[in-house]
Amino acid sequence: MAMRKILIVDDSETMLKVAQMMLAKEPYEVIVARDGAEGVARALETNPDLILMDVMMPNMTGFEALRALRNNSQTSTVPIVMVTTQAEAESIETGYVSGCNDYIVKPVDSVELIAKVRNLVGE
Amino acid sequence: MSELSKAYLHPGQLFVSAEGYAVTTILGSCVAVCLWDPVTKIGGINHFLLPSFGGEGIASPRYGNIAIKELLYRLTQLGSQKHNLLAKMFGGACVLEAFRQRQHHLGTKNIETAQELLKSESIPVVGHDVGGQRGRKLIFHTDDGAAWVKAL
Repeated sequence: MAMRKILIVDDSETMLKVAQMMLAKEPYEVIVARDGAEGVARALETNPDLILMDVMMPNMTGFEALRALRNNSQTSTVPIVMVTTQAEAESIETGYVSGCNDYIVKPVDSVELIAKVRNLVGE
Repeated sequence: MSELSKAYLHPGQLFVSAEGYAVTTILGSCVAVCLWDPVTKIGGINHFLLPSFGGEGIASPRYGNIAIKELLYRLTQLGSQKHNLLAKMFGGACVLEAFRQRQHHLGTKNIETAQELLKSESIPVVGHDVGGQRGRKLIFHTDDGAAWVKAL
């Protein structure tokens, strides 16, 4: 069975490294993108099994990228988890309306991240 | 809706008050347990992400077993009587269509944890809106247990 692909979209190098470290022990291929526009491009190019999407990013915000992915037949059903700050979490309703599947609040807890990823990739 | 003070509850947190609050939270696969004492009008709510703490990571109200016991403890500390408490529970959605046939997705495990713990504490569940396919926006009134849910 092919290794499942997880796309992490975040403009913070620290967050990308932390998330990669948290997922390192899991059998996933991790792909990264550093803003919303790159996230959309990488998703279309790699067909990930799950996307972890930051909210506030340059070029295209996480909510804009979410809408773009949902409006594309190739990525309309890929599970997307929004990764928000506490302040952004209060507007996560926008994310659900736009089609996100779940959300995680920073600072991300590794047990929570892995549980949500496993749940959404069907393990 | 009456004019109560407002609070927003983040995942993994608890809110308890002896004064009336309208507490808002947003749930996907997470579950919120709401407890209130209709006699003293003390109430509270948690929002947990994972079923039970199994020794890995940090023990916190992110886990259902800890979140429910902590909520119960803090309500009794504020003066509510355990035998008066009533419960409502919300959330635990399976947010992916592809996995709806699975018996034990994360949302289901969270719901089961809440049901089992409330039963073991002999606290009646008088209302619930759990499972399903969509996230929820929940507003809970701590003083009288009123709750509104909007499917997202």
